[in-house]
Amino acid sequence: MAAAILALSAVAFSLEYAVTNVANLSHGELLTVGAYAAYLVQQATGNVLLAALAAALAGGCLALLVHTTVIESFVRHGTPRMTIFIATLGLSFVIQNVLVIIFGATNVAYTIDQGAPQQIGPFLLTRTADEILVSAIVITAILYGIIQHTKFGKALRAVSQNRDLARVTGINARTVASTTWFLAGLVAGYAGFVLAESIGTFSPYFGFTFFLITLAAAVAGGLGKAFSTMAGAVLVGIALQFTGAYISASYELAFAFAILALVVLIRPRGLFTSARRSIFE
Amino acid sequence: MSQYLTSVLTEGSIFAIMALGLNIIWGWSGDFDLAFYGYVALGAYMTLVLTIGRPIAPAEYILGLQLPYPIAVLAGVAASALMGLIVGLIALRHLRGIYFSIVTLGAVYVVYVMAGQYVPLFDGYNGLSGLFDPMASTFGINYNNYQYFLLGFCFAIFLIIFVLTERLSRSRFGLALRSLRDDERASAAFGRDIYRLKLRGYVLGAAIGGLGGGLFAAYLSAFNPSAWSPIETIVIYASILVGGKGNGKGVVLGVFLISVLLQESTRFLPQIPNQPELVLALREVIIGAVLVLFLRFRPQGILPERRRVDPDRGDDGGGRPGATNPRLVDDLASSGSEPIAG
Repeated sequence: MAAAILALSAVAFSLEYAVTNVANLSHGELLTVGAYAAYLVQQATGNVLLAALAAALAGGCLALLVHTTVIESFVRHGTPRMTIFIATLGLSFVIQNVLVIIFGATNVAYTIDQGAPQQIGPFLLTRTADEILVSAIVITAILYGIIQHTKFGKALRAVSQNRDLARVTGINARTVASTTWFLAGLVAGYAGFVLAESIGTFSPYFGFTFFLITLAAAVAGGLGKAFSTMAGAVLVGIALQFTGAYISASYELAFAFAILALVVLIRPRGLFTSARRSIFE
Repeated sequence: MSQYLTSVLTEGSIFAIMALGLNIIWGWSGDFDLAFYGYVALGAYMTLVLTIGRPIAPAEYILGLQLPYPIAVLAGVAASALMGLIVGLIALRHLRGIYFSIVTLGAVYVVYVMAGQYVPLFDGYNGLSGLFDPMASTFGINYNNYQYFLLGFCFAIFLIIFVLTERLSRSRFGLALRSLRDDERASAAFGRDIYRLKLRGYVLGAAIGGLGGGLFAAYLSAFNPSAWSPIETIVIYASILVGGKGNGKGVVLGVFLISVLLQESTRFLPQIPNQPELVLALREVIIGAVLVLFLRFRPQGILPERRRVDPDRGDDGGGRPGATNPRLVDDLASSGSEPIAG
């Protein structure tokens, strides 16, 4: 289940990377904002479905805002991508602390009825866990459909391979990038909601912590190709579940990065990318 | 008031030392290292476990010696340098750009998690405390004057580090690191051993970070995981960026503006009841925003790094085109023939 959330978060991160070539260090804040939005809406309406929608929308809007106000400005100025990468770290710092100012730094308890656990095959799952798994699969299927079988998806892939060449063929790269970020934000916001729901508590810093695992998983899988990233995330997620169960969950982050270090040393291009793509900058 | 000023200046000197260390890694060598605060923390932790003596139950930590403070700091520096070497050996070999940053970010979080969760190491989240007024008895300084002594001590070390890094910056080593930053391939073609040079710069930076940590431990007299987080590095980055990346004087100016002036000015904002973290959060919002704005509009900082210009490149007429810069020729002759690192 954690693997499913990790996969959602990682695929969104990978999409952001694909169209702008920027590893967005403020990605975790999309999840955090999603969690807060879901919490507020659920407090107001008591409806889980509305809460999920609000989470996705909040994530999408924040991603769009980040892209149009900051990233696009840097890209148009011709700033090296390393500089943009650093800027997104500053941005993450800003968003985290704006959330602290609005909501305070304390943990917010977010409990919803998990439902009775039931046996499915070898797994013991609660109703919430079922919903998370099913929704993750549905979202993946929809994303796959969009990326592989629509005109927009084709444009997205073109921009991700070569932005300038895509523009020469009449693709409005800026619109494609903005839309992709919005789409990624929707997925990330929703991931934030299910993460908060499954952990049961969150704070302004919770997205960043989870983002670090996302980052390890995404880089291990291979950046920029949405579905290889996803495969990596699922593997890392499952590996973490095992280490968490057999050793200790508090070392999860350390394990995630140990996996990353191993992958980087053995197969620096990522596990599921074609050999031609090098990670050399 | 003078007590307050002394405290601020001491902290400023310590931050300046850290920033000068990070400037070697980021400013000269061009690597965006996110592990840096880990070296500061390790320096501080090591200094503490080597000076505060045996742990009293229920506290537990490694070593627990009572060495003289300067020796403990040197051991802390050595520990940080060693960790820098290990991280550098892995991260600098093949990785550049964001991949280097991500792996160093991972490394520092591993250290952070270990320091916080593995209690026998540095007593977990309780952290270490009890380093009171180191060297006071040796020099016979009483309690009232101690803070002036500490300021003098930290400032003297800051001056030493500043002079050393300024000299090193103009040395062959400093120039070679910059050449890697500006064009790794060209530099390799001139026979530079990229990996080894970068590694040397990295370890040196980490060691200076550890030194800053050792002094910080004396200033705070305690250290625990809630006192630092890996993201703290961003404040040092903001200082370097605002002042002028790669320029020692700029870095010091940046530390003064960000770590001293900004930090202290927000302290005078009115406190809002029940919201103790508000002012702190506001300060961090400002630091993050300053970082983003400077990156966008003035990435070279207030005092930009002075670029060396090849005297033959200008239109002075007389010179042959190419390498008649004596320094370059000299460098070429002495650089040896080690294989180029991939």
